[in-house]
Amino acid sequence: MAELTVFGYRPGDSLLHSLDVRVKILSLIAIGLSSLNADLIGLSVFTAVSFALILNARLRFMTVLKELRYFLVLLLFVFVARAISMPGSPAFELKGVIFTREGLYHGTLICWRLLLVVLLGASFVATTKPSEIRAAVGWFLKPFPFIPRKRIATMIGLIIRFMPAILDQAKETSDAQRARGIENRKNPVYRLKKLALPLLCKTFQNADELAVAMEARCYSENRTDPSLSSGGNDRIALFVVAGLCVLAVVL
Amino acid sequence: MHLIEIKDLCHRFSDGTRGLDHINLTVQEGEFVVIAGRNGSGKTTLLRHLNGLLLPDSGYVKVAGVSVSDDPIRARQMVGMVFQDADSQIIGETVYDDVAFGPENLCLKRSEINERVAMALKAGNLTDLADRRPHLLSGGEKRRLAIAGILAMNPKIVVFDEPFSNLDYPGVKQVLKQILFLHRSGRTILVTTHDLEKVLAHANRLIIMADGRIVRDGLPDQIVREAESFGVRQPYASRMGMELGSWLN
Repeated sequence: MAELTVFGYRPGDSLLHSLDVRVKILSLIAIGLSSLNADLIGLSVFTAVSFALILNARLRFMTVLKELRYFLVLLLFVFVARAISMPGSPAFELKGVIFTREGLYHGTLICWRLLLVVLLGASFVATTKPSEIRAAVGWFLKPFPFIPRKRIATMIGLIIRFMPAILDQAKETSDAQRARGIENRKNPVYRLKKLALPLLCKTFQNADELAVAMEARCYSENRTDPSLSSGGNDRIALFVVAGLCVLAVVL
Repeated sequence: MHLIEIKDLCHRFSDGTRGLDHINLTVQEGEFVVIAGRNGSGKTTLLRHLNGLLLPDSGYVKVAGVSVSDDPIRARQMVGMVFQDADSQIIGETVYDDVAFGPENLCLKRSEINERVAMALKAGNLTDLADRRPHLLSGGEKRRLAIAGILAMNPKIVVFDEPFSNLDYPGVKQVLKQILFLHRSGRTILVTTHDLEKVLAHANRLIIMADGRIVRDGLPDQIVREAESFGVRQPYASRMGMELGSWLN
């Protein structure tokens, strides 16, 4: 569960908390895309801004990194793969494997970009109410006439609400099976099957009950739209982000 | 006019089992009714007919004079239902969002939604937890949230399906206080339970169900002694020949 709690919304009054969710999503997309073309200087600028925002939002940097530990392991694999697979001048040799200068450079850039986007994503989730994210998705889908935006927004809300509950259930089922000695069975397929079947049954049963509960509370797609508002700060933020993106790509 | 009127209600499940067998029942405005019975006696099935989640095979259910089958949406606005498992009833990503879910479905204006949510959170003593994610709440808090979600829809009737199951002593007291608050504010209350001990002292009517039928219906003091013959434990006080006492004292 801890893995999820760090990415959950934390109330606050920082700059990120006060910005309109649509501006935050657009900024995240713009920074993500422009970081693909950004070099060391551009990435440094983005990273400095990200650090400032994370500090301003009073998120504990070490806790965020700790929760991202599995992602950091993935980044290490990406880095090593890049460093040894890219042709170029050799930098050093480790147990017969040659790491190239170009590979090390590009590996660093790729990992830096991925880490930057994930850090910004984590700060976005931590400073934005899930209902605002749901509302923004509905707003962005408004121009598309054949997409059931309200249904999609509801589904996003339900995923955010029920993901921790499903993980809790998985943990409980797994604990109950460990208490009955499933660890003695070494076959991972057998263990996965024994975990997945009861978990799926329970999840579908919960989904049925949820549908009834929603019906009991008069759910329909014809419902009050969530409220979204933007102000002067949001326009300034959008302008600053656009400027930074241009600078990062040009530099 | 009766607030709830049920006539010759029968319901059979898809596997052929009889859920309800010729139920006749009327409930007046402002009553506090406890419906008791062992597991599978038909309590939950009966409740689900009050807001059209289940529809009768024969007979009818009327709420404030209008057939539930004809207008289930109206029935759902009038009859708020608190389910046995609060976890599956809570829909919002945060406490605030969950309470707002019902009023949003009623297409109310945002300002009225905010007012109703603030009132319901205050009544459930949940104002400080408004931004909390529901899965991090305690069992008692989740049950209070489920009740607040119903209260925000401002129903005339509130039905509770086993509201005290899986709750510790403080949780039971908090939920009981909330039920009594709703009753004092003029709402009609129906509570199903197989554990009379916790709530019967506050009820003015007891109905006992068995095998999909109503087998006893009357004042709690008069029929509580017969409860055990239908698989429902008699409260300790009445076993000892004493007056029923509240869990809040």
